[in-house]
Amino acid sequence: MTSSALTPPGQSRVDPALVNSAPYFDIADPDFRIKSEQVYAARDRCWYARTNYGLAVLRYDEMSRLLKHPRLRQGSAAWPAHNGVTEGPFAAWWASWVLNKEGEEHHRLRRLMNPAFSPRLIGGLVPRFQALANELIDGFREPGRAEFMSEFAAPYAARVIAIMLGLPEAEWPVIAAESAAIGLAMGITLRTELPRIEEALANLYGYADDLIAARRRHPREDFVTELVKARDEDDKLSDDELRDGLVLLIFGGFDTTRNQLGLAMETFLDHPDQWRLLAERPDLGGRAVEEVMRVNPTVTWVTREALADFTFEGLDIAAGTTVHLFSQSAGTDPRAFGPGGLDTGGLDTGSLDTGSLDTGSLDTGGLDTGSFDITAERKPHYGFGGGAHHCLGHFVARSDMSEALPLLARRLVAPRLDGEPAWLPDSGNTGPVTLPIAFSPAP
Amino acid sequence: MRISVDFSICADHGQCAIAAPDIFRMDDDGHLVFEEFPDEALRSAAEDAADACPEQAITVID
Repeated sequence: MTSSALTPPGQSRVDPALVNSAPYFDIADPDFRIKSEQVYAARDRCWYARTNYGLAVLRYDEMSRLLKHPRLRQGSAAWPAHNGVTEGPFAAWWASWVLNKEGEEHHRLRRLMNPAFSPRLIGGLVPRFQALANELIDGFREPGRAEFMSEFAAPYAARVIAIMLGLPEAEWPVIAAESAAIGLAMGITLRTELPRIEEALANLYGYADDLIAARRRHPREDFVTELVKARDEDDKLSDDELRDGLVLLIFGGFDTTRNQLGLAMETFLDHPDQWRLLAERPDLGGRAVEEVMRVNPTVTWVTREALADFTFEGLDIAAGTTVHLFSQSAGTDPRAFGPGGLDTGGLDTGSLDTGSLDTGSLDTGGLDTGSFDITAERKPHYGFGGGAHHCLGHFVARSDMSEALPLLARRLVAPRLDGEPAWLPDSGNTGPVTLPIAFSPAP
Repeated sequence: MRISVDFSICADHGQCAIAAPDIFRMDDDGHLVFEEFPDEALRSAAEDAADACPEQAITVID
């Protein structure tokens, strides 16, 4: 659940005062690519670009500071209203998000919810994550081939959530389908899709209400019990807050993890040396997750909105301006990650020189992702957002992906594309829809 | 109880200041400042802050 992961595009129009020489992107243009030479060339010229929504921030240092800037708030609170949805269950749920609250109201929810997401509690789930990854690989329909998204990434992401919540894992397709339906709310067709979205919401509310009631009756040593028991002195989460939070967790945790696993596979397809290294060194799983999220994050931008007029690095930013922080551009900024931030790195010879840049076969892929090196010490990336709204579920995501990737690397030897992948749009939250691969199976 | 922060990895997210505002706060420039020797009564808040830190930069030393 990152702030950014759940952020639709902003809506305010560019301030006419922000004219002149900065680069300009029409980010609503279907041909605009957030991972593109156009963006990297603009990043060389200027730390920001103007867009039809407001501003795009392109460099690491500026993104780092603006993520946490006190004059900016998280930028998606007004999204339903912008789409003419001002009342009803969906509008109420959206307003309930910890992500869409600010100040003490936000901090209170965060204090109450954080302990359930602590690394200590999540560490105990690691053996189950490993068993799940092995079970899914064992279950591939054909040895040596898989449609990675439907046979691994989606069931893995959904069943991790089922494991965390103590739901029957067999019900993972419901989690997947209802999360996808709610995901329609992030797009510009929100209003027409509203009946389906609210039906999905009602269904997930049913799960959440049952879980809360069950743990109140019979507490367990688990995540939901921890949330139900959460207290800050005399304060605690109400039943509505618990329900809203659990549904946000399901929605925020599923799609992001599914997409990020697909993007990880895409990146490693281009870096076979690194995949082999990961197979030999499963202890690099955590580093591999960080490195993938730096160069190929599912959350390609984090949205903020200016609360008041302010000046940053000489640029006047008017109250109400939408600011998109481009995570992938910042994560590959050569100013922060060295001249190899975009160049073919010294370590990897297997991929960047194969001409994949020019084939256009991968919509978001094939682009030079820089000196991708899972052994490198790096500055933190912002694939989980940052500041007050830093992803609440990042320990879970980090833990489950850092178990899955080395296991996949060991068992799927020399993976390669086995057909044409299909992609989500590359702005906002992205990832493969389908990713057919072939490989040499290993036990 | 002593609090130690590894400033080589602290990214000033401010999650500790949300978890334990009596120990940690963000200054006007958005940088972390904290009480190195907080009252023992704040131990549980300090541990929550250490847990909540996205970069795991905080250690509570007995």
